[in-house]
Amino acid sequence: MRLAAPGSIPWLLAHEMRIAWRNYRAGRAGKGARGLISLIVVGAMMLGGGVLAALGLREVEVPIHPISISIAALATLVVFTLMLSQTLSASSEALYERGDLDLLFSSPIGPAKVLFVRCLGVAGGVITIFLLGVTPLLLPSVIWGHPGWIGVFGVLGALALASTAVGLLLAMALFALIGPRRTRTVAQVMAALVGAGFFLVSQARVILGEQKSDSLFAEITRQAMEGRLHPAPIVSLPLRAMLGEPLPLTALLAGSAGLFALAALTLGRRFSDAAAATQGKTAARPARASRGQARRAFAAGPFLATLRKELLLIARDASLLSQVLLRVLYLIPVALVLSRNAADGTGTALASGAGVVAFLAGQVAGSLAWITLSAEETPDLLAVSPARTRTLRRAKLAAALIPVALILVAPIAALTWFMPAAGLWTALGAALAAWSSGLINIWHQRPGKRSDFKRRGGSSWMATIAEMVVSALLAGATGIAVAGFWPWSLIPLGLAGAALLSLRRSDAQIARNLRTR
Amino acid sequence: MTEALIVRGLDKTFTKPAVMDLDLTVHAGELYALLGPNGAGKTTTLRMVAGLTKPDKGEISIFGIDARADPAAAKAITAWAPDEAMVYDRLTPLEYLEFVAGLWNIEPKAAKARAEALLAKLGLAAEARTRCEGFSRGMKQKVALAGALIHDPRLLILDEPLTGLDAAAARLVKDMLQDRVRAGGAVILTTHILEVAERMADRIGIIAGGRLLAEGTLDALRARAGEGPKGEGWGGSTLEDVFLQLTATDAGAAA
Repeated sequence: MRLAAPGSIPWLLAHEMRIAWRNYRAGRAGKGARGLISLIVVGAMMLGGGVLAALGLREVEVPIHPISISIAALATLVVFTLMLSQTLSASSEALYERGDLDLLFSSPIGPAKVLFVRCLGVAGGVITIFLLGVTPLLLPSVIWGHPGWIGVFGVLGALALASTAVGLLLAMALFALIGPRRTRTVAQVMAALVGAGFFLVSQARVILGEQKSDSLFAEITRQAMEGRLHPAPIVSLPLRAMLGEPLPLTALLAGSAGLFALAALTLGRRFSDAAAATQGKTAARPARASRGQARRAFAAGPFLATLRKELLLIARDASLLSQVLLRVLYLIPVALVLSRNAADGTGTALASGAGVVAFLAGQVAGSLAWITLSAEETPDLLAVSPARTRTLRRAKLAAALIPVALILVAPIAALTWFMPAAGLWTALGAALAAWSSGLINIWHQRPGKRSDFKRRGGSSWMATIAEMVVSALLAGATGIAVAGFWPWSLIPLGLAGAALLSLRRSDAQIARNLRTR
Repeated sequence: MTEALIVRGLDKTFTKPAVMDLDLTVHAGELYALLGPNGAGKTTTLRMVAGLTKPDKGEISIFGIDARADPAAAKAITAWAPDEAMVYDRLTPLEYLEFVAGLWNIEPKAAKARAEALLAKLGLAAEARTRCEGFSRGMKQKVALAGALIHDPRLLILDEPLTGLDAAAARLVKDMLQDRVRAGGAVILTTHILEVAERMADRIGIIAGGRLLAEGTLDALRARAGEGPKGEGWGGSTLEDVFLQLTATDAGAAA
């Protein structure tokens, strides 16, 4: 017996969930038992943390006080911006990724219903991520002593619905304002900015160069303690809802659901028109450098041709650019701390900042190397060419390292200007970390889809962890060297070298590994 | 007559045998069509010739070069075009051809001129600087074909080359393949369109269950069809009759 009538919203939603689940499973092909074990281990650890927290908080009552109200409101805002970052990205992608939209729009089911369900899918995807993180931590407290805290789940649901509505509205507004050709890129970049926005705001003092590097949270807390904070009644709504007060929780849920329904149902027709309009439109624009391209000579040889091809593909990948931008945005406060401390001449912040730069260089290079090496779109074309595999690999590695160098050249040059030694150590550490991540990605290639960049679809978990560990060791070495104890930096450097030696794979091993995938 | 491709005793087993003890010869100046039902082993055979799939055993020689011993030399004079076009959506056709020319280490100036000429010939001159992401399947097929031809290969290996092409484009591609054959190159292709094999191929091989069941010119195959098993005659004279009889017989034998 069917649970829902074909064509109904529950039926469509079930279809959407089944496809999402199978896509997720496909992305984790071959990870079955290992993935499940990791999930259970992480889940158990989180649950353990949740139980400990529940025991500790059993007798604690959260007061309705300006400080708690402000913290809850800020937390709500942070979660909302993080969710919005995802829903804006997902909404704009839904316009371009055809998937089964053509099939659904060609069916007698109304486009408004199709969009409504797709939006529910977007909201469901977002809430799932947050619930996975929050449930094991919060559930023990809900069970032991604080049943009202179940309201947190309701608030998360309300935020998911509201952020989906706003994400959709923003995507459609962009579409109307700048057209299909640019919407995808701008939406992805906006999503990255929104995602990093709160972090940047919280670092306002660092960026603006105040003497103290208080975060926004600390500033608000101080104001509240000094009795200068008087939040409006509506600001207390999230906290009251989180504590399970029926009226605020109902108001939040009803408001979000209303906004969601309004956006999803009223934009249905526009969305289907926009989705149809995106077909081929991104390609209709001649390449920006078309005139130059006409004059420009072809690249000579496999190395230069591959390098150029990879750089073009990186530069034209909106989703990839937004992710790199996001990491660069996180780097801004660190870079400012670095330059400020460099100008002062000393500081532990300088050493840790240099370490962070090296770590991020490793991480960004690792992501780009995964794109160029493992997410090759036409591996057969390379395989049938007479070009040497090593030449192609070197070109792909170079393509991954060049953007990292471009991102870091200005901050490191500024640092070197103020403190030549610190600048050189940072440059060396960043270069080593980036190079190491690239090498790990060469040795442990696993073919994946470019679109799976965010989770590096099918990537080797061991390589990902190794990349992080080696980057962290090299970051440590950089920090120690910048702090003036460079002989001590040989210890993490040696460990990183040993890790790289153990990770090294011969050409034959790499080829064998790729054949078995 | 120069032999463009010699395949001897080629074997490949995945979970079950895909190609078994296959012998094949394609001469220079010849277009050879490999026909067979789905899962017959056509694509596996071509992938092994192109160096994409490692045979379990057997020999492959391309214009006298042992392709298994010296794959780079063999690949330098070979081109492979699969049924799903290998193009990058975010590159323009010209950028794609630049990349392919670089892989085959063609002198940049000559490569650029050749790329522009190929795109013009295939009717893609206006789209030369437009990204491939919005192209139709046929347009992508044409870009991939231009990529296959840019290094002037002596042996062209094509898997279903006419899939997705409109009538005019299919005619154009057929003409280009005939030109290559007339110029002394060799073409081996698979196709489901028997009429294409009937009209274009100098010789036809029929493969099923990983084995080459029959091979020869269309006339030779027709004559064989006329004989039929035990000489009773199959009563048909078209390639379709021959194909269906041979593959049905094979399927029956396999059953």
